[in-house]
Amino acid sequence: MNRMTLDQFEDALEEIGYITERDDRIALTAFLATELGKPLLISGPAGVGKTEIAKVLSQVFGAPLIRLQCYEGLDETKALYEWNYQRQLLKIQMSQDKLKEEDLFSSDYLLPRPLLQALVNPEKSVLLVDEIDKTDSEFEAFLFELLGEFQVTIPEMGTIRAQEPPIVVLTSNGERDLSDGLKRRCIFLNVEPPSVNKEVRILRKKVADLPERLALEVARAVHILRGRLSLNKVPSVSETMDWAKALLVMGKNDLDPAWVEATLTLLLKSQDDVDLFYREMGAERLLFEASKLGQEERHAHGKQS
Amino acid sequence: MLMENNPERVSELDRHLVEFAQLLRSVGLKISPSEISDAAQGLTILGMADKNKVEAVLQATLVKDARYIPSFQEAFRAYFASKEQKEVWQKETAEKASQWQGQLEQARQDLRFQGNELEITEEQRAVYASLPENDKQRIKDFLDKSAQGTKSGIPVDHTYQPMVERVLRGSLEYWRKRLNEDDPILSPGSTDALLSEVERALREREADVLSRDLKKISPEEWPEVTRLIRRLSQRLATQVTRRYRADHRRGGVEMRATLRKNLRYGGVLVERSYRSRRRARLKIVLLCDISGSMLKYTEFIWQFIYGLSEVVKGIKTFAFGEALIPLSGQLKKEQTFEEMVKETLKISGKEWGGGTNFANALLTLQQAFPAALAKQTLLIIVSDGQTLEGEKAAALLEQIRRHVHEVLWLNTLPKRRWQETPFVQAFLPSCQMYECYTLSHLTQILKQQF
Repeated sequence: MNRMTLDQFEDALEEIGYITERDDRIALTAFLATELGKPLLISGPAGVGKTEIAKVLSQVFGAPLIRLQCYEGLDETKALYEWNYQRQLLKIQMSQDKLKEEDLFSSDYLLPRPLLQALVNPEKSVLLVDEIDKTDSEFEAFLFELLGEFQVTIPEMGTIRAQEPPIVVLTSNGERDLSDGLKRRCIFLNVEPPSVNKEVRILRKKVADLPERLALEVARAVHILRGRLSLNKVPSVSETMDWAKALLVMGKNDLDPAWVEATLTLLLKSQDDVDLFYREMGAERLLFEASKLGQEERHAHGKQS
Repeated sequence: MLMENNPERVSELDRHLVEFAQLLRSVGLKISPSEISDAAQGLTILGMADKNKVEAVLQATLVKDARYIPSFQEAFRAYFASKEQKEVWQKETAEKASQWQGQLEQARQDLRFQGNELEITEEQRAVYASLPENDKQRIKDFLDKSAQGTKSGIPVDHTYQPMVERVLRGSLEYWRKRLNEDDPILSPGSTDALLSEVERALREREADVLSRDLKKISPEEWPEVTRLIRRLSQRLATQVTRRYRADHRRGGVEMRATLRKNLRYGGVLVERSYRSRRRARLKIVLLCDISGSMLKYTEFIWQFIYGLSEVVKGIKTFAFGEALIPLSGQLKKEQTFEEMVKETLKISGKEWGGGTNFANALLTLQQAFPAALAKQTLLIIVSDGQTLEGEKAAALLEQIRRHVHEVLWLNTLPKRRWQETPFVQAFLPSCQMYECYTLSHLTQILKQQF
């Protein structure tokens, strides 16, 4: 893999359609992690595009993406390797006399799981350890050797070192605190929901034929919802896209209160949040606040120029 | 590079990085040498011409928790400020420090009995120094009068000094609570100009409801806070139902099931069956202190009880002051939870305020509600630990701890006050005690614990 400069990296992101801004520092931090050869730990609320960063890195570097989805109770047999017990048993039955113990504990009988796959892959890969905060602290400690040295130790076989150290991306929703040991080994990136400007760019890139005016109104309204109401679940970028697509399909060029109410459930996915919206804001107020935000943006823009 | 260099040839960059890391450590960040090394390497790769890039590299390598980003931003702003600005801060800090030293010295001079310096702590002297002039005068008058007093016509001598000291300590303790219960009244900020500036800026940022003391939240902000508490309780509830006791992973092979499964292979053990991990739903028992000392947190306790009862089924709630009051009554038709609790309190003749006897409450809990204290019970106590019969209460809590899954104590008293509060130390071995007087504390506890 050829080394890149930061500018080239940013261009590559642009080319594959991933939108970043200077202020979000996503490009710089991801670039830094790859250059330092350190795992990238990404935190932030659900739906801001943490997992997407790993996918994008895989595209930029042309490296396969190997994904480990974490959950409570995940252990090394699901994450690292497991012995192919049935195959070992067959081997024992077939050659009972001539069999040596080391014959049974060779790579032929090893079932590599995502972590080991990423290590033994002869080419560079991107290893995504998604939602690391869902696992327990023992599993986190188990990852230290992999994240620090890019190697794992299998008691029966010895240490396996990465042929080509993978680019490791870990994501966390911050459900629980990660250990200091894990954090120390990583480069850290906190991703916040996108700014209005960035979300407009994302919408226009991902939703074909979306008029700029509608994109702006949608992004501003979602920005207000995220910031002003303490919702149980803030709308994610993909939900904003769904909303914009729905409005486009309905032939809308701008937002009006009736349509906001009709399509609200695309953004707010729990009855509590919907109730909160009607109690504290309502569609008309939302649009009023969104247009006020637009005026403020124009005002700030006018001052700058 | 940073770690490889000869100590005598430490570069200017390394020196700045180490100094900057020290500043970050003093505002609470944990930074290891390897992270400083990462920062140095990062700066070498990306250069130092662009301040924004430098900030981004340092943040990515030195800050590993989003909570500390504001502290980092303030530290970065202060550390990389212009030389002139730093000189101004230096001057201001030096002035403040010398002014404060002067005040403390004056306090030392004022607080004397018949010319002898009184034996009181530095913090108590600081409390005196922070008092308004007329209150200071009142204390001075008291000391003067005491020094000139007589007993049975004989003038008092130095043997009366301990008595005077006791009275004075009591008075200064009262003032400390009135002035500011939570923050230590010592020097006005650090003597280090940069640190002092960062601390000042962070205090200004503390307008955020999450980090403000729950008793200082204004009524207009409560709806917002209520929602936050409900959301946190919801998280607690889902975690409680999802979480199960982390027994030994996979629990080992279960022979009986394995043999049964493999009968079809003629007894050859092709498939294995494992003992599954024990899933245990925790039962929450909530014990809330409603005595006088907790009055300031009434609203917090209401919301916490209400939020939790709304989302966790079968939660048992008790309030306690001088006695235990069960609150898990049946809701009558069209009655809100708050009305039910108020009615229960009315029936039991108890109201908010009054004394605390935690021992009494625990004893009643043990005797009248033994079923509530089972192996699956998570006992959550919300109290400041100020109680009568503390030793007895600590012994009872120890007994209870042995019967339940865990005892969590959310203490509304700041951690640094635990030492001086009688009995808090005695409760510590029998529970997991956390300071909990801001929403950010509550969030942290839930993150660590669940």
